[in-house]
Amino acid sequence: MTTGAGGNTPVPVSRRPETAAAEPVGAAQGKRSTAGDAVAGGLTTPAAVPEAQPARKSKRGRGVTRRQRPLWMLAPGGTLMTIVIVVPLAVALYISLLDLDQYTFREWTSAPFKGFANYLEAVRSADLVHSIVISVSYALLVTVITLPIGVAAALATQNAFAGRGLVRSVFLVPYVLPAFVTGTVWHIILQPGGVGNLLLGHLGVPNGLWLNGPRSFWALVIVQTWASWPLIYLLTLAGLQSIDVTMHEAAALDGAGWWAKLRYVILPHLGGPISLGLLISFLHNVNNFTLPYVLFGVPSPHDVEVLPVLTYVESFQNFRFGLAAAMAVWSLALIAIPLAVYLRVVRLDVGSDESQRRARR
Amino acid sequence: MKTRSATVTRLLPRPLQITVVVLLLVVVLGPVSYVFFASVNSDLSVAAGDFLPHRLDFGNYARIWSTVDLSTGLMNSLIVAGTVAVVCALVSVGTGYVLVRFAFTGRVSILRALLALQSIPGTLILLPVFVLFASVANVLSVQIIGTRWALFITYLTFALPFSTWVMVTYLRGLPAELDEAARIDGASSFRILRSIVLPLSWPGLVVSAIFAFLLGWNDVLFASVLTNPQTRTAAVALTVFGVTQEGGAIPPYGQLMAAALVCAAPVVVLYLAFQRYLVGGLTTGGVK
Repeated sequence: MTTGAGGNTPVPVSRRPETAAAEPVGAAQGKRSTAGDAVAGGLTTPAAVPEAQPARKSKRGRGVTRRQRPLWMLAPGGTLMTIVIVVPLAVALYISLLDLDQYTFREWTSAPFKGFANYLEAVRSADLVHSIVISVSYALLVTVITLPIGVAAALATQNAFAGRGLVRSVFLVPYVLPAFVTGTVWHIILQPGGVGNLLLGHLGVPNGLWLNGPRSFWALVIVQTWASWPLIYLLTLAGLQSIDVTMHEAAALDGAGWWAKLRYVILPHLGGPISLGLLISFLHNVNNFTLPYVLFGVPSPHDVEVLPVLTYVESFQNFRFGLAAAMAVWSLALIAIPLAVYLRVVRLDVGSDESQRRARR
Repeated sequence: MKTRSATVTRLLPRPLQITVVVLLLVVVLGPVSYVFFASVNSDLSVAAGDFLPHRLDFGNYARIWSTVDLSTGLMNSLIVAGTVAVVCALVSVGTGYVLVRFAFTGRVSILRALLALQSIPGTLILLPVFVLFASVANVLSVQIIGTRWALFITYLTFALPFSTWVMVTYLRGLPAELDEAARIDGASSFRILRSIVLPLSWPGLVVSAIFAFLLGWNDVLFASVLTNPQTRTAAVALTVFGVTQEGGAIPPYGQLMAAALVCAAPVVVLYLAFQRYLVGGLTTGGVK
């Protein structure tokens, strides 16, 4: 089944290289295009977005109209989202101002109001600072380590070879495995006396505890790297497809060796998709609850007490709901900067790329 | 022509290319194949760190159904994630259509919010939801925590924005001329949505449904707090399975691995079957 899908359509990610090359924005999808195309195409051109800004102001894109707007169609989705998103978020903010624990929980609306005391207590506590350090350093490490792996994988599978479809399918597996399965499996692999320790022993790494103590941090880094490198791979692959074949030909004519071509022709083109991948990867890692939770269990070892796990323990083990809500809001502040950059970089508006496309003609 | 362009566009020298591919295949397939080997191995052998089983024992796949209530878990996951998928897909068409085709104040902010919501820490939603559900139980004596409804509602929080975003990216690709023509012919907006947009957007619908489904299927955070043993999902059943058995002499590792494979199989099959449609959504980041 896998072979069928991969074999018949040899290029699962990289369809239409010609179209992609001619239309780097990926905006020219016909009827047969897929969500995959649109997203991959749209996401891979961050650098192009600012150029489009002035154009968007003056000219609305084709297909977006102000006439006869059936705004009522927003009602079902809008109402549902208000109920399940806006209300909980507002309540979360309110809770973070309350002295809410298991004693005041039953009558939470009349719990004592503390103002920003929870926020202060959270920053002053060593736990939160420790968790922030752990979360950020593990997220950055994983992001940095997955970068060369993902890029190398994309470079190696860009050209057709026998079995490439299958290889590409296999490369997706670690990423699509549910995190709870990945965590369960690696928990068994890394346990004392498990196959991981045995294998590492053959490679000269002394046996030790991977699920407890200082090495647990590295266990988390290794497992999350294993699970997340295909993200960079996918984005790089999408970026490679947008490189015009004439660029390759020009490089070949100039007699550039593979390294020179890579360094001066290919890599400069990949800056956009790669930096996008780094951003998403960092955001994923910081927010990842499932993997650390399943891999180490709670209470988790001190060295891997990442932010989501800390807020979870603080609320559902220690029942300090108010404090935990404040911690969750702090973690929101932690991702605010990368998130803001991400939102600036991603193509949001249909109008902008339409006008941008016209501007290029 | 084809061969020429293949040599011209080659990025890595052949030996290096082969090395990278083989290395990564080993790194990926090593742990994956180990899961399978361990699932047909004896617990003692897994505990001893054997990679290959001494003799194949497929009995673990029969035993998991009685040791832990995996079938209830799978059923709950299927019901909750399935409902979320259907609701999200249906709701997202209308929202996505308006967002793609019509200009109105706040449109870009909504688009931005759809993406931003993917990065909200789950605990920030879980806390208020837990408190709200508990107070509904107090005030109206309607117990929500522990029911499938609790999961359904909370999964919508993350699945709705993501499905809508997927629909937006899909509908962007549809030519606007089609519904402009219908509009000129005097069709109402609802009519256009029903007879023109909907029939054309089934691939987008499928993708947005699959992603909504996977959000539910893969979740541990919400399910671990909001369910009880009768309503727990496969994900929680698996984690509980791993923990509770550790009182015994040797935990049933083989069964644990078999159960992990059973939980992962539907997801991996879905991805590989629909991979050309799903890859774009993967890189947007809601699911992981």
